[in-house]
Amino acid sequence: MTKYWHLFLISFKHSWSNKANLSGQLVFLFILLFIYNRLWVVIAADSSTSNLNQTFIWYLLFAEMIILSNPKIDRVLFDDIRSGTMAYYINKPISFFFMRYIEAVGNMSVSFLILGGFGTPITILFTGHPPFEWWQFPIIFTMCYISSCINIIMYTAVGMCSLWLASIRTLAMAIERLAFTLGGAIFPLSIYPEWFINIAQWTPFYSFYYLTVKLVYDFSFANLFQAICLNTFWILLIGFFINIAYHKLTKRINVYGG
Amino acid sequence: MAAKLKKYLKLFLFIQKNNLKTAFISKSDALTNIFIMVINNLSFVFMWWILFQHKGSINGWGFGDMAILFAVGNNAFGFFAVFARGVQQIPEYIDNGNLDNFLVYPQNSLFLISTSESSFASWGDFITGFLLFFISGYVSWLNFGIMLFCSFLGAILMYSIRLLVSSMAFFISDSQRLGDNIFISFITFSCQPASIFTGWYKIIFLTILPAGLLSLCPVNLIKNFYWYEFVYFILAIAFFFTISIIAYKSGLKRYSSGNRFGVR
Repeated sequence: MTKYWHLFLISFKHSWSNKANLSGQLVFLFILLFIYNRLWVVIAADSSTSNLNQTFIWYLLFAEMIILSNPKIDRVLFDDIRSGTMAYYINKPISFFFMRYIEAVGNMSVSFLILGGFGTPITILFTGHPPFEWWQFPIIFTMCYISSCINIIMYTAVGMCSLWLASIRTLAMAIERLAFTLGGAIFPLSIYPEWFINIAQWTPFYSFYYLTVKLVYDFSFANLFQAICLNTFWILLIGFFINIAYHKLTKRINVYGG
Repeated sequence: MAAKLKKYLKLFLFIQKNNLKTAFISKSDALTNIFIMVINNLSFVFMWWILFQHKGSINGWGFGDMAILFAVGNNAFGFFAVFARGVQQIPEYIDNGNLDNFLVYPQNSLFLISTSESSFASWGDFITGFLLFFISGYVSWLNFGIMLFCSFLGAILMYSIRLLVSSMAFFISDSQRLGDNIFISFITFSCQPASIFTGWYKIIFLTILPAGLLSLCPVNLIKNFYWYEFVYFILAIAFFFTISIIAYKSGLKRYSSGNRFGVR
């Protein structure tokens, strides 16, 4: 495990030093929070409802922390598989898949912490008191961090699709968009019609995003338990797919040249 | 001048023809990508449709206005991504030293860089754009013309903003993702109902942050055409285009070769 810990540290430090990338993420997060705060303020004024922005902007913050901290592992795997670089790693005493996964978790951790550290005071500034109690904050934060780790597993599965697809860019984009709609990453699923929620429940996005982030405005131990159980189920299912793809990949790998 | 323009147009068409040929090497893959892009765009529209179903209108904006906004936005992005996406690779070209390859040609380097990459999947943006126009409730030949013209100008604005942020790479190293994030922020800003910005927010939205040019002007022009707004729209985009060209040229003056040898 020590070697994986060191991989984590190296990638953590590398991401930490990439100030330009981090500042770009912060600019984007600020703009998202600003725009949607305006949107919910205007909607609340239109419909004479109060505190709409308080609920939904905190929800948006945590959802975006999961989405924006995603380190695009799919692109890294695509390059590794397509260029044949993977062949250099698979005969080393380290699992190629775990190496890339841990590196991605290291990258994600930096972004997640920075986005959380920056986004929390900004959201307080926009909305005032959050819709949850402060003692619930570490639990929600940890659950969202776990969701981010699971999110990377999902994008690893997308990266593994390089085996069958010539380009995975559009697929990755579609997955991101599905997270917005089926996962309710921008507008919570609670505003969607019942038939749509019934469909969304059968997808991994429902538990990774909606169930986890919903704890922000609807915290209960029953909801927490439901989110943990469903997330575990989807990890096992996606992990199973990755395992099959990885075995196919190692069999199919071709190395050209000297 | 006319001869030069004709030469560039010929080269542009030749590049686009080759891009299409490359994309159709795997026909099924190309068509799948377009299909995914359409689904992708429609899922975003669906999200807003749900919100409008839930709330009726947002400060006077209905779903029809939003459909026009997305029609122009999708078509503009389609124009940009299909014909001039290469401009977003400038930071990578600078960091890798690949920019030199473009500078040694007799043609304009910015033209060659811009056309060096094309996203075939973005043809799906055009499909979504036209589809949304037809469901917007503002269908007429005149409005169709305005929508197409605004989309073209919107593409120039997107190109200018992308060139502006890409040119940062001449001054800041490793700025690819910073540029990506700023550009995505701009796109995100321009895909929101403009009615949520009032007072000072609206002024900033239409000037310093030009996203309002893309989201507010086309919808206003289609709903009520005013010449002064039309002229403002054109002049503002011309201004941002000029600024971006100046930024690229001054960045290029600072650029020192990556000393990488290669042939394209």
